[in-house]
Amino acid sequence: MRSEQEANLAIERYADTVRRLCMIHLKNHADTEDIFQTVFLKYVLSSVVFESEEHERAWFIRVTINACKDWLKSFFRSRTVCLDQLIEKPADLSPDHQEVLEAVLSLPAKYRDVVYLHYYEEYTAVQIGRILGKNVNTIYTLLNRSKKILREKLGGDEDEG
Amino acid sequence: MKDKIKTAFESVHAEETLKADTKAFLAEKMQRHPGRRTALHRRWIPVMAACFILIFAGFGSYQAYFTPTSVISIDINPSLEVSVNRFDRVISIEGYNDDGKALASSLHIRFMNYTEALEQILASEPIAACLEQNEILSVTVVGGDTAQSGQILSQVESCTAGQKNVHCASLTEEEAASAHECGLSYGKYQAYLTVQALDPDITPEQIQHMTMREIRDLIASLSQSDADTAASTAAQNGDHHTQSAGHRYQDEENKRVHHP
Repeated sequence: MRSEQEANLAIERYADTVRRLCMIHLKNHADTEDIFQTVFLKYVLSSVVFESEEHERAWFIRVTINACKDWLKSFFRSRTVCLDQLIEKPADLSPDHQEVLEAVLSLPAKYRDVVYLHYYEEYTAVQIGRILGKNVNTIYTLLNRSKKILREKLGGDEDEG
Repeated sequence: MKDKIKTAFESVHAEETLKADTKAFLAEKMQRHPGRRTALHRRWIPVMAACFILIFAGFGSYQAYFTPTSVISIDINPSLEVSVNRFDRVISIEGYNDDGKALASSLHIRFMNYTEALEQILASEPIAACLEQNEILSVTVVGGDTAQSGQILSQVESCTAGQKNVHCASLTEEEAASAHECGLSYGKYQAYLTVQALDPDITPEQIQHMTMREIRDLIASLSQSDADTAASTAAQNGDHHTQSAGHRYQDEENKRVHHP
């Protein structure tokens, strides 16, 4: 078991990442809180020795996505949900940001992880394939399709990446 | 679009209450299960240490249980030895002649208290038959622990009190040291030494095939012969007070006989 100090440090370092992934997958704040705590509890109980901070970050991403998927398997929910159910203070978000996030959230689940990991975490397709356990060609396909859908939803800006 | 998505996600943060609640949640979990901090291999070290201690303790107990501290030699014509541990339990039984080996293999007295084992031996068909035929039963207790040997001898005497023609005695380990080298049980070895003193030509092999009755009779006849020789010599030399070696040995034997 890791120390309380290590746990607190991990929370400060990866809380936002875990929070964003929970937002992508989950339907309400209560579920987010459960998964958030579950992920950090797994970290505390894990005996994995991380080779680097990148290794540790990738571990958190993978564990969070898997925890969300496991959680969702137990429930039948509508796949679309309003942003104000996912974020405690939706008023803090600007309208532009809200629009973008809602567009991302409207994507099928398999696209959302890829979009987040590529556009925000800036992982390559190869790295995303490794994290998600998917073939790199599948990642390219998902990325291309998600770009097409988002372009239609958000307007005609060309993708830079 | 990339920048839009990036900045949109950038505005999403884990709420401070969420982080604080999670820290409190983890602190409570860690308080409940502090021992789980230990790495896998460290967790197993005390378990393995306990296993080793149990194994060694078990081995030590095993050694203590199966180490003989006294031996009861039973000779009539079947000659056998019953090894007894510090807990007064029979741990082995061994025959020292053909009849003894046959008797040993027929008995199921291992791990019994020696008094119960002795009662079973006395009640066994070969022994009972010999006693009915007026054979002499010799029970010799040999042991390094004089306290246990003495107690066993007393118990043996009590067990055999109802039997006639029973001879009980004890030997020290030093006295009985060469018995097994001669191929004799302790009881027969003691008898052999007695005969050898009277007849140096006697061999252990001859004694091995004789019943205790025959050995006693031989001792008696050799003693009588010596007595006759000594008396004749004394008469010639005018000395009436010399005791023969045979008489002395017979006297020693008589001191040890507890049952007529």
